Amino acid sequence: MNLNELSSKVAQARAEAEARGETFYPGPSRIHLASFPPKERWNDWVELDSKAWPERKERRYMLVPTTCFNCESACGLLAYVDRETLQVRKFEGNPEHPGSRGRNCAKGPATLNQVIDPDRILHPLKRVGARGKGRWKQVSWDEALDDIAGRIRKAVQEGRQKEVMYHVGRPGEDGFTERMLAAWGIDGHNSHTNICSSGARTGYHFWCGMDRPSPDHTHAEVILLISSHLEAGHYFNPHAQRVMEGKQKGAKLIVFDTRLSNTATHADFWVSSHPGSEPAILLAVANHLIQTGRYNREFVRRWWNWHEFMQELHPDKPATFEVFEQVLKTLWADFTFERAAMESGADEGMLRQVAEVVATAGTRLATHNWRSAAAGNLGGWQVSRTLFLLNALLGAIGTEGGLFPNAWNKFVPKPIRSPRHPDWWNELTWPTEYPLSLMEMSFLLPHLVKEGRGKLDVYFTRVYNPVWTNPDGFSWIEMLANEDLVGLHVALTPTWNETAYFADYVLPMGLGSERHDIHSYETYAGRWIGFRQPVLRAARNRMGESVADTRAVTPGEVWEENEFWIELTWRIDPDGSLGMREFFESRKHTGEKLTVDEYYGWIFENSVPGLPEAAAAEGLTPLEFMRRYGAFEVEGKVGPIHEELLPEAELEDVRIDPAGRVFTRAPKPESPNVVPQPPLDGDGEGRRRAGVQVGRELLRGFPTPTGKLELWSRTLHDWGWPELALPGYQKSHVHRQNMESDQLVLISTFRVPIQIHTRSANAKWLDEIAHTNPLWIHPFDAARIDVKTSDLVRVETEIGHFVAKAWVTEGIRPGVVACSHHMGRWKLSGDGQRQGMATVDLGQEGSNWALRTEEELGPFESGDPDTSRIWWTDVGVHQNLTFPVHPDPISGMHCWHNAVRVKQALPGDQYGDVSVDTDKSHQVYKQWLEITRPADRHSPDGTRRPYWLLRPVRPERPAYDLPTNGKEPGPAAPAEAEERASSEPDAPSGAE
Amino acid sequence: MPELFRALGALAGPPEPGLRRAAELLELGPLPDETEHTELFLFQLPPYASLYLGAEGKLGGEARDRVAGFWRAVGTAPPPEPDHLTTLLGLYANLAEAARAGPDPAEAGLLGRGATALLHEHLLPWTGPYLSRVSELGHPFYRSWATLLKAAVREAARGSEHTGSLPLHLREAPDLPDPRAEGGEAFLDGLLTPVRSGMILTRADLARAASDTGLGLRAGERRYALQALFSQDAARMLGWLAGEAEAWVTRHQGLVDDTEVQIAGFWTERARHTATRLAHLARDASEAQLCDGP
Repeated sequence: MNLNELSSKVAQARAEAEARGETFYPGPSRIHLASFPPKERWNDWVELDSKAWPERKERRYMLVPTTCFNCESACGLLAYVDRETLQVRKFEGNPEHPGSRGRNCAKGPATLNQVIDPDRILHPLKRVGARGKGRWKQVSWDEALDDIAGRIRKAVQEGRQKEVMYHVGRPGEDGFTERMLAAWGIDGHNSHTNICSSGARTGYHFWCGMDRPSPDHTHAEVILLISSHLEAGHYFNPHAQRVMEGKQKGAKLIVFDTRLSNTATHADFWVSSHPGSEPAILLAVANHLIQTGRYNREFVRRWWNWHEFMQELHPDKPATFEVFEQVLKTLWADFTFERAAMESGADEGMLRQVAEVVATAGTRLATHNWRSAAAGNLGGWQVSRTLFLLNALLGAIGTEGGLFPNAWNKFVPKPIRSPRHPDWWNELTWPTEYPLSLMEMSFLLPHLVKEGRGKLDVYFTRVYNPVWTNPDGFSWIEMLANEDLVGLHVALTPTWNETAYFADYVLPMGLGSERHDIHSYETYAGRWIGFRQPVLRAARNRMGESVADTRAVTPGEVWEENEFWIELTWRIDPDGSLGMREFFESRKHTGEKLTVDEYYGWIFENSVPGLPEAAAAEGLTPLEFMRRYGAFEVEGKVGPIHEELLPEAELEDVRIDPAGRVFTRAPKPESPNVVPQPPLDGDGEGRRRAGVQVGRELLRGFPTPTGKLELWSRTLHDWGWPELALPGYQKSHVHRQNMESDQLVLISTFRVPIQIHTRSANAKWLDEIAHTNPLWIHPFDAARIDVKTSDLVRVETEIGHFVAKAWVTEGIRPGVVACSHHMGRWKLSGDGQRQGMATVDLGQEGSNWALRTEEELGPFESGDPDTSRIWWTDVGVHQNLTFPVHPDPISGMHCWHNAVRVKQALPGDQYGDVSVDTDKSHQVYKQWLEITRPADRHSPDGTRRPYWLLRPVRPERPAYDLPTNGKEPGPAAPAEAEERASSEPDAPSGAE
Repeated sequence: MPELFRALGALAGPPEPGLRRAAELLELGPLPDETEHTELFLFQLPPYASLYLGAEGKLGGEARDRVAGFWRAVGTAPPPEPDHLTTLLGLYANLAEAARAGPDPAEAGLLGRGATALLHEHLLPWTGPYLSRVSELGHPFYRSWATLLKAAVREAARGSEHTGSLPLHLREAPDLPDPRAEGGEAFLDGLLTPVRSGMILTRADLARAASDTGLGLRAGERRYALQALFSQDAARMLGWLAGEAEAWVTRHQGLVDDTEVQIAGFWTERARHTATRLAHLARDASEAQLCDGP
């Protein structure tokens, strides 16, 4: 046979194999990166048992996909379920997942540690004795459910809905719980987002009506990151792999980071700026583009709201684009490179080079800011706003290699039932002082309660640990320990945490391989959904068994969360009289409980375009397809949606107002994608907003009041902040002029890539790699206070101090110190997590609190032999306890950076010591409250909040009205409540 | 023959059971054990172009950058190991296939030229001597594989339009350093750098050297082992290496084919130069030993 014939023979065999849905070249082959078990063999995959070495012992696995729960980026995992023992033996990447593409960070495989953690919570626990004393008894799910449901039912019947609150840390899902709360008629959703990403979200939201960036790193010419995305934090795996792809194709990488992060080490330009000065640099870059005429004139002309800006701010001048361009040249003319260098401490020459590189990007500029500077500083939201300005100048919006708004790259399928919105306003989460706060003022809760603004009867913390994570944790302890303020605290958590010690019930929830969720994240210019599932349930399904209650396949009595909420709702409203139950009833079998199979089966069949067809091609139902592959790409490539022509079908009795906004009487087309978008007002005559006129074309535009990108924000202008209506530079609370000469800035927000937020203590592999958080300090500063690496230092904040170990390094700017997030986990004596936590004593005298380590971490005997091999004792320092709240008056974001004094430790100081005065922390809260511009004094229209701003569990419109004559509208008793069913889907905000 | 290249590329990867069908179709015999694969491709003859064409004789560096640049030039992001034989064969298959399937004749022509350039710049220059060593050191499966791959490369070269001129990186490759001028360290590195010495010295060869010369073999990476051999008896090692280089001259002459006249000529000359230099050095060293003798 000649070579050509041989080649044809192989090609034919390959085509036949692939037509059967099989893989012809399997294994870690460089041919097409197929270093994964081929999917047709996922039911019976054979590997040698590494632990049996040198014996060659074969093990047979079922490979079942799920979605990682250890951060929010929703990477795919494949659980290796041993066919013999039906236990998960390892987790690897899911090559069928379009976001993570089979790659994972260390946190994914470490799910196994959490599953087999000898200290994990396996049964419902109820407090015995006083709250916070650490004594528990095991109770049945029935007892817990009846108790909790009874209290909620009573609260609802008595019109006390506002006393029920659900507070989420790691959502890991898109909208289930928001809709559940809406079904309960509860405006009690509380997220952690204001200690996380609200700052960055705000800057994006005011520009484009969407609150999150989705950069197309892979195709970028220039990548500009104001974060440590490439290496740290969560989200980093899907982004980092695409940043690296961009770099491999020749993209330049610019990183702004005060600290020499792993990301910075990969950069072509590392800009180490003084914290909070980032907008000054970005405005200097923008000014350079403007003064040198290297911006995209056509894009600016078409898509900026320059006309509105000219009419409002320069009514004396002709509102032409040419005149606007003259004004544009003056807007940031004083932001010279010299000034930017002076503000930031960065080298002026390098800033010029950075600006030149940005100028070469054209429409291929991928930028990103999430936490970092936006989460650290007063006015941090201007960081993302001034960053977006660069994309807006270059027209790099919705372009290949440019920046997309998140909502364009995300798919949230319409659910089986959509409750209507609550009809009242929760003042504890949305106080009038913060009308523009993008998310709930969650971290102020103890102070709001302390001021008598309300109390809680049932408070759920769900995979959330505010005592540890939030600033001012001792104020949280004071609130949680007070049974008059918090009647019942239910902690839903897969692992022990500091907050759970102050609960009445600790309810064991599933880990990433033990729960159902649908999840979608903006990762690239496409749209996908991921499916998280209890993998042992799916494995038993494959073996022909039916599992009705997931508790049958989870360890102990750990429960799948959706089943828990459905059951709880039925117990709150057993006869349906409260109008809640109907949202959790089967469609197929009237009067019966909705099952998770029906819930997800309906969504996959009805709300995910293309999925039923893809499933049918393999002879599967859509649910079976998702249980088999774990993810589905709905759309591979998304373009510039703002440029889409409005279709004829949407144009009925059209009206175009003088600002070019297009209104129509045609109803909004049904969309299976209910990704949150701002609700925009109609024309008052019954027409809805459909788009915007640009030139002669009627286009989709952006979901903003003007339909354009908003350089100038009427919302900010009208709600009391006219001086901030344009992107600008606000001096941070840690700007040099706001600090004493002996103070340093403390950066406390940075992440370690192999840690899971506050859930690493039971991930032994991760903890062994990283378990402490020394204070980064520059040699200049270290010399000034005469400390060396490992010396103890006392770090004094406004309200107290903590004692840490110094790490002298040139990886941080002089004048700045840094201490990583994650570490310093603790437990009180008694039960709880032994791994990764120190045992501490909490002392209280009035408002003075002290935390001192009583026993360091050490080895211990357990079912896992590795716990006897723990060789480290240092678990780090819990610094967040010593931070007062710093709410930004606009974004509502907690401004994490602190002005601190760093000294040598005093005699008697012990490593890990924390000392705080909560009276002082309340005073700091009040100081920051004074700089707010509350709605009751600044609202232009008598409402609490601009209606178009995104908001989770958005209440009905009347609830937006400010209370009048001292009477505050509260929730209606059920008898008065309207029918809650509605065809309109709820708009979850995607909080995380 | 794109699929043949792709399949041969895949078979240079670990012998996964899933590859049985491809092996069977190519009549290469049963898949070998993983240890055979490891021994050949990890310990003896790692299949990276940069090892055989780079002036440092090491993985990566300018030689790998050159190959990565080629990937970019044909519009494909280079993978983490752009110069691995499997990757290169896969790329060749893709280019050849795209050149045939392309609807636009101009683009198809461009891709076809890309495939030809890949073959003549980055495959032919090293696969001749490389595969000849695989045929000696490998498991029978890999010997058959090497024979088939050599035939496929030659067949593809015959069918391509190419001037046959020597690639620039071979023309500019420096020869074996003279230890008297450039020092012993550079000389040792040069001996282990195929493009400079004209020889591929594997771990197995060094073991043979120890056995032939009666010197002790120190376990370690090749450079360490070679240095240890020299430290025991430099003259004897130089003599052995001179003989080895002579054998490489003969080997390269045997590899001359109408598709690689220039390339085989380059390798022959390189080995001949090395043989001459080593013979001189051996003679000088023996004389020095005699003078220094008791």
